[in-house]
Amino acid sequence: MRVYFRYALKETISNLWRNRMMTIAAVLTVAVSLSLVGSALLLKQSAAQASVVWQQGTRVSVWMQPTASTSEISGVRSQLADLPIVKNCVYYTQAQDLKEAKQLLPQNEWGVLTVSTMPSSFSCVPTVPSDAFVVINTFEKLPGVYQVTAPGQQIREMNKVIRVLQIVFLALAAVLLLSASVLILNTIRMAIFARRREVSVMKLVGATNWFIRIPYIIEGFIQGLLGAAVAIVAVTALHIWYPLHNEFQLNTSALLGTNAVVLVVGVAIGSVGSAIAIRRFLDV
Amino acid sequence: MIRFENVSKTYKNGTSALKNISLDIEKGEFVFLVGASGSGKTTFLRLLLREEHPDQGRILEAGRDIGDLPKWRVPYLRRNIGCVFQDFRLLPNKSVFENVAFALEVIGRPRSTVESQVPQILELVGLTDKSKNLPHELSGGEQQRVAVARAFVNRPLILLADEPTGNLDPSNSESIMALLERINRTGTTVVMATHDKVLVDRMRRRVVELDRGEMIRDQVRGVYGIDEGVTI
Repeated sequence: MRVYFRYALKETISNLWRNRMMTIAAVLTVAVSLSLVGSALLLKQSAAQASVVWQQGTRVSVWMQPTASTSEISGVRSQLADLPIVKNCVYYTQAQDLKEAKQLLPQNEWGVLTVSTMPSSFSCVPTVPSDAFVVINTFEKLPGVYQVTAPGQQIREMNKVIRVLQIVFLALAAVLLLSASVLILNTIRMAIFARRREVSVMKLVGATNWFIRIPYIIEGFIQGLLGAAVAIVAVTALHIWYPLHNEFQLNTSALLGTNAVVLVVGVAIGSVGSAIAIRRFLDV
Repeated sequence: MIRFENVSKTYKNGTSALKNISLDIEKGEFVFLVGASGSGKTTFLRLLLREEHPDQGRILEAGRDIGDLPKWRVPYLRRNIGCVFQDFRLLPNKSVFENVAFALEVIGRPRSTVESQVPQILELVGLTDKSKNLPHELSGGEQQRVAVARAFVNRPLILLADEPTGNLDPSNSESIMALLERINRTGTTVVMATHDKVLVDRMRRRVVELDRGEMIRDQVRGVYGIDEGVTI
């Protein structure tokens, strides 16, 4: 066993060195495609996480007419309080809303605003995010209500964009992964073709197929491993340095999980590719 | 040791390589397989190695039907059969020693076995002083002796030789024959396909003659053939 281990290692290293250009090509292709796979996975997790954060923070704002009477306001307030799907509500007076508007808007826009033209508002958190629409439908028509808004629409748009991006990334990654496996397959096939004499002699003197096969499978395994290692560096770098808004920022365990997937895919592609490549040459 | 029972083989292109061959070869026998090119000699040897399957009939080696062997057992079958070819089939980038050692290494023999067996067999074939040379630095006769050493180094029960002297001059052919005879005397069964009339006539061993796939002669202590003038 130890003799064979030494033999297999020697064979593998000499194969890798003899076909170093093809090896580099295969490793880089694996690296690029796996980087894309990794990034797509990160993006997917980020988006899923952000969308949960957003939905938890969904607030429905019921804006009152600036001219709404006190009784209209208290009527809306009591209805909101009675509605079981609304968790809690905060009332902002006209002055408070003006203050917030001044923070959010550029000066030339809030300059024209006055307390009397500002609507007062209720900011409510629905128990279930999707119930925001029920609140909209219920309160839009009430007297004194100017408008009911929820950010649900924007979230949905955002999710749609992210979903498309994910599909594009994954499709690209799939194509690249395919080309990486073909490249590895080809590298191994060339290596074996260059040594078909040796392989035929090995078969002649009674070497088992596994004996012949293992060095080539290790070769593919190493190519996949190197490619995956480069991809892991790329994905980690992306995770660390790409500035993402808070709710997108993933924790380390998500990164580790992604890297594990990248590693497994890389190694599998390398080994399986070479196993397929050698099959033809081992037929008796 | 080797038994053919009504063996026929037809290739996919319709060529009928062997027709209904039945034959027994005892342990320790030396058999010449003669016949024109295309008479089926090589097919005969390939069947023994299970590089081909017979369409009909059975082949037994050491009492065992080799058609029954599962595919993964085939390498183990081949470990009991040494092979020598007309074109030597040495590995050009390995030295004489490494070429012979290769046969032991690929069947997983430990280094100690390799280090004791290879020098011994190189001495038998008279190439001790060339053990570090590469094949292209040797003459044809010497290369074939390396090939014989490789075929015999793990002491197979059967040695197959497919025109081993086909590329050699008479004196080198003589030395290869002497070597095969010596190997035969150790109890190894030798089956040799050949065109070499002089060798066959001189050796006076069993001769099996094939003609277009049919066995037309099986003669103990035979000669190459009566109508040999038209062969080759």
